[in-house]
Amino acid sequence: MTTPEAYDISCVVVCGADAAALRATVRSVLDQTLAGTEAVLVTAGADDTAASLAAADPQRIRLVHAGPESPACVLRDLGLAAARGRYVMVAAPGERLERHACRNLFEAGRRTDADLVAGRRDKAPAWHKELHARSRVVEDLADAPELVTRDSLSGGFCVRRGLLGALSGAGRAHFGVRAALAARSIALVPNLITTGCAPADPVRDLPRAADAQRDTLELLHGDDALRAARESAFLSDHVIPCVRAFLPLGPDDRREAADTLARSLFSLVTPEALGALPPVERIGVRLLTDGDADGVQAAAYALARPGTVVSPLVRTRDGRVRWSAEHADDDTFDVTELGHQYRQFTDLRLLNRVTHCLRQGAVLAVGGRLVVPLGLLDDRPALAARLDLSVRGGRAHTLSVPVRDVRQEDGGVVWRAELPLTGALRPRGIGDRVWDPRLVLTVDGVPVTTDLLADKSAVPTRATALPARPLLTRLTGDTWQPYVTATQHLAVCLLPRRRAARAAQALAHYVTHFRPARKLKPVLRTLRRKREALHSQRVKLRVYRRILSQLPVSRGLVVFESHMGKCYGDSPRAVHEELLARGARVRCVWSYATSPAGFPDGARLVRRWSWRYLWALARAEWWVDNQGFPHALDKPRHTTYLQTWHGSAYKRMGFDEARHRTRNAPERERLRRAVGRFDHFTVRSEHDVRTLARAYRIPEERLLRAGYPRNDRLVEARERDEREGRFPRPPLATQLGIPDHRTVVLYAPTFRGVPKKGQVVQLPLDVREFAERFGDTHVLLVRAHYMEAASLPVTPPGTVVDVSGHHDVSELLVLADVLITDYSSIMFDYALLDRPLVHFAPDLDAYAADRGTYFDLRKRAGGPVIETQEELLRTLARLKKADGEWQAARRAFAAEFGSYDGGGAARAAADLILGKKARA
Amino acid sequence: MTSTTAPRSTGRDLFLVANTVDELGGVTAWTHQMARLFQGAGHRVHVIGVHEAELKLTLPADLGYEVTSLYPAHPPTPSPVRGLNRLSPAAHRREGRRLADLGRAVARLSELFRAARPGAVAVVTQVWPMEWLREADTAGLRIIGMSHESYAYTRACHRYRSVKRNYPSADRWLALTQEDADDWIADGMHNVGAMPNALAHLPEIPSPRTAKVVCSIGRLADQKGIDMLVDTWAEVAPHRPDWTLRIYGAGSDEPDLRRQCTELGLDRSVQWMGRTDDVAGALAESAVFVQSSRGEGFPLALMEAMASAVPCAAFDCAPGVREIVCDGEDGLLAPPGDTAALADRLLRLTGNPRLRDAMGERARVNVQRFSEERVLERWEELFALLER
Repeated sequence: MTTPEAYDISCVVVCGADAAALRATVRSVLDQTLAGTEAVLVTAGADDTAASLAAADPQRIRLVHAGPESPACVLRDLGLAAARGRYVMVAAPGERLERHACRNLFEAGRRTDADLVAGRRDKAPAWHKELHARSRVVEDLADAPELVTRDSLSGGFCVRRGLLGALSGAGRAHFGVRAALAARSIALVPNLITTGCAPADPVRDLPRAADAQRDTLELLHGDDALRAARESAFLSDHVIPCVRAFLPLGPDDRREAADTLARSLFSLVTPEALGALPPVERIGVRLLTDGDADGVQAAAYALARPGTVVSPLVRTRDGRVRWSAEHADDDTFDVTELGHQYRQFTDLRLLNRVTHCLRQGAVLAVGGRLVVPLGLLDDRPALAARLDLSVRGGRAHTLSVPVRDVRQEDGGVVWRAELPLTGALRPRGIGDRVWDPRLVLTVDGVPVTTDLLADKSAVPTRATALPARPLLTRLTGDTWQPYVTATQHLAVCLLPRRRAARAAQALAHYVTHFRPARKLKPVLRTLRRKREALHSQRVKLRVYRRILSQLPVSRGLVVFESHMGKCYGDSPRAVHEELLARGARVRCVWSYATSPAGFPDGARLVRRWSWRYLWALARAEWWVDNQGFPHALDKPRHTTYLQTWHGSAYKRMGFDEARHRTRNAPERERLRRAVGRFDHFTVRSEHDVRTLARAYRIPEERLLRAGYPRNDRLVEARERDEREGRFPRPPLATQLGIPDHRTVVLYAPTFRGVPKKGQVVQLPLDVREFAERFGDTHVLLVRAHYMEAASLPVTPPGTVVDVSGHHDVSELLVLADVLITDYSSIMFDYALLDRPLVHFAPDLDAYAADRGTYFDLRKRAGGPVIETQEELLRTLARLKKADGEWQAARRAFAAEFGSYDGGGAARAAADLILGKKARA
Repeated sequence: MTSTTAPRSTGRDLFLVANTVDELGGVTAWTHQMARLFQGAGHRVHVIGVHEAELKLTLPADLGYEVTSLYPAHPPTPSPVRGLNRLSPAAHRREGRRLADLGRAVARLSELFRAARPGAVAVVTQVWPMEWLREADTAGLRIIGMSHESYAYTRACHRYRSVKRNYPSADRWLALTQEDADDWIADGMHNVGAMPNALAHLPEIPSPRTAKVVCSIGRLADQKGIDMLVDTWAEVAPHRPDWTLRIYGAGSDEPDLRRQCTELGLDRSVQWMGRTDDVAGALAESAVFVQSSRGEGFPLALMEAMASAVPCAAFDCAPGVREIVCDGEDGLLAPPGDTAALADRLLRLTGNPRLRDAMGERARVNVQRFSEERVLERWEELFALLER
């Protein structure tokens, strides 16, 4: 470069039509804390705003003129050529630089000596944040491929000016990618650089993005991996958002858009990139390249509401499910994995498009067309339908209107209804102003409910309004106005149109939004805060310590809790049932965390941390629990604490945990105090004594060597197996609908912690593959955290059952013929049943290194330890044959870890509780 | 590039503002170390403390730079007169007196700042004094705030709120390492940089590493995790009967720690050395250095050990530790709290003299990237950056 470095950073801005946006950008450049920053404004033809800005500060603002009608990339290159800074950056009008942005970029550039320094922009997608999580220097693009495969460098970065001469390619290719390819090293910093980027309009921007994509792919021709990655990223970053954006477009707009976009996407969608997409996305993109406007909108609806059937699905001869009859031979349109074919008819969500909505005399005539998949109407079933109008906001107030005209028409259902809104729909007028209509279609007596998808153009405002007669007079509203919601559904709302109602509305608005409300709101807020403070944990704790725990004991009161109130199960339940069976004169209280559903009716139920809970704990004679009552609650003098614990230890626990040791002294003291409350601690074997008892510093005299009460059921089941065999299965099998001939496999992995926001958790086991291979002979019970269970795919009915919500896991263990787990403590209990056990732990080594373990699972396990899904399925297939090898190991495992589990644990615990009571 | 150093001969007016100027502690030592360096580089340094300390550090009579304390003793914490206190004249009087003192302190500060030549910089070495700087007249002055602890440590205590309230407006907010700086940036600060502490001096003669001694230097306080060190040693001692663990330092936890040591039967191989002023001497008699802290900022002891060519085994408890020790190259790190892993590192270092020598020598070379000259250079670059 010949021009000397007069500035540290030059910011090139290509001026557009928006004067305010340009001013904002230029002001943000001048406001930089790095004073050596200049702005280079490039104008096509004359631009008054740019000229006046430059005149105001000629030192730091330079103006570059180009001929009118020059393309944006030419303008940008002119600006870059005129820049005089050590580094150059490009900002679009409207984008604002953060105040310290240039200083941070300059500092990072000098510190790392990089050719390109890039930071964050606001409202960027998650991958962009991930890329900039830490300061780092990238020398090989393979370490940060997003720099060239996605539009990571579309702003918020600066380039050493000397590098500009070395840029390859030109014209419309992405400037950021050209710079990244030429740079020797790239510094990535987590600093926020630009804000206020224009919101994306995928439909408008796609043609330009497609042009840039073509030229950018040219640049990447040497590297097939990067090229392929850019091709897929183009689909996910530009084309799929465009498909989604089709949902609100009206018929004419979407047809026009589909025509343009199909042309500009020509040859940019490769079969490989398309094949890697999930089914609905794949079909949406494909339909877009085909120019099928209505099809794309239907796909957009399915993307917005996952699980909706939006096309007349067909089943092929080989059992696959395809999008529609006309695409039945095309693999791109395969949607078998969505599992719609397995859903019950009533559970289907169907696309129901409103075709017309108009006022006819005193009624609203609505008609629509409903998609019915998989030839469900082939044998001409009896059809009936009704329209249900319900108040938005959950109140169960519904108006049903029969639909007189329902008939089948080329594969779908066409319906037409007349809604007598004025006479039939009589709202109060306050609190029930918005109503959502839904169509309930009944096929041979089986109902299915569908939402109504509507285009704005199908619901003209003036031609659909009807008079309304609310109960609280027409001052609350006088017109029923059908409209299209933000999610593109048809709804009806109550509006004030006449003068009286408008005046009443204005008055109400004044009262609720202006001075009266402003005076009242802080008072109410303070009162609410005071009330909340009275029920805060801090106050509760103080009352518990000072008052409640001083109260006298209530003889015979036993408080139970299992897994911090999450369920009615585990050992506390076994103890509770034993006490009930003996008819002991004790009063049992159970604590629940969120919902009392599933807890026994006979016991008193208290919510965890409620006043009643504290009252019960303070007065109880016994606490029985398997994890720990809140650490902050000290045990009253008169109470005895039976800690049954929730499982033998594989990973390091308590004071043995590295994480615990690094805590500071007060935190460690808190745990010590909490554990010091235990008066009796049940153990299953000497292994527990060596590990758990030592880890929690529980002295010898407090150990109850009786085994776990919850395991009595397992010991009993094993004895029954030996006596009578496995059948008939326990009643739970009938409840879950499991036939006798199927092998029951229970999959119960360890919970791996709550995922971060926006992160989707997946089970390590691919349930769909299991269903395909073993669906006919096995049934898989999945017990996982509810967040993991939520991601279970749809499978044929009766092959996979989610039992995560089941309260008592030992019932499930008794039911299971095989257990698959990783390193959950459930393995120690299941071994008592002497049934096959498989450890499926893809991340065993990482887990063991991270958490630390008491023994080597691979050496001591009672079943095969497996790391891949394929191996697991193979093992399951030949389980009967291979099980013989493991019998000895399994018995040794059970004997070692469950030596005290003799079936009398609940009895021993009950003796302890009642014996103490007798003495008292 | 015109960047590197502002011409030193001109010098600037530098104010180093700390909680106290004469308190016994790491930050005060750092303040005077930097003051001496800046003064030596031709700057005019003025060290300002909010108040005079009770437990005083012995400072040399002639420091060569000015030292000022704004208050004779710790100023009272602000307590707005609220609730029933509004009826108490004493409360009003107390608050009035506090405000008057505050006004005087701020006026004094403003006067000092106004007298400064253009280009002056105030380095606020601790979080608290910023409360006074925010009130004072700092026109024309560049303000640099500093954190002397890891981000995670600040995040967990009351200082975090104070940082977020007072420092976004500073010209620069300095963390100890780039990793901490990244954490502050992710937290929403835009003016963040990183600046390491400087290693005071390099001992002439490195440790010969012949004595079979493992040493630990640090207060006997919970944060230093000596209890974990004793547990670790219980796993090492049986394998290394001829080695001794020397624990330098004093503190309130000493009786408990000695009891723990006796219970584990380690009395024969552990020596409690008490506080030492001769760190280099202690290191010269050791072959391995061990640090078992729960939390650290930019540990000086680790740097000093490396400067004496003593290889270190340490818990990887803060970014500062990772920044100083390059794991596997000039020292060995263990996951925080994992005593078995730390014992393993100690066994490797004590069992292999070649490894010890190689790591020790590399450590002595590598740690010099934190030498006073290099750190001073980074400061000069920072001053120049803020002026651009």
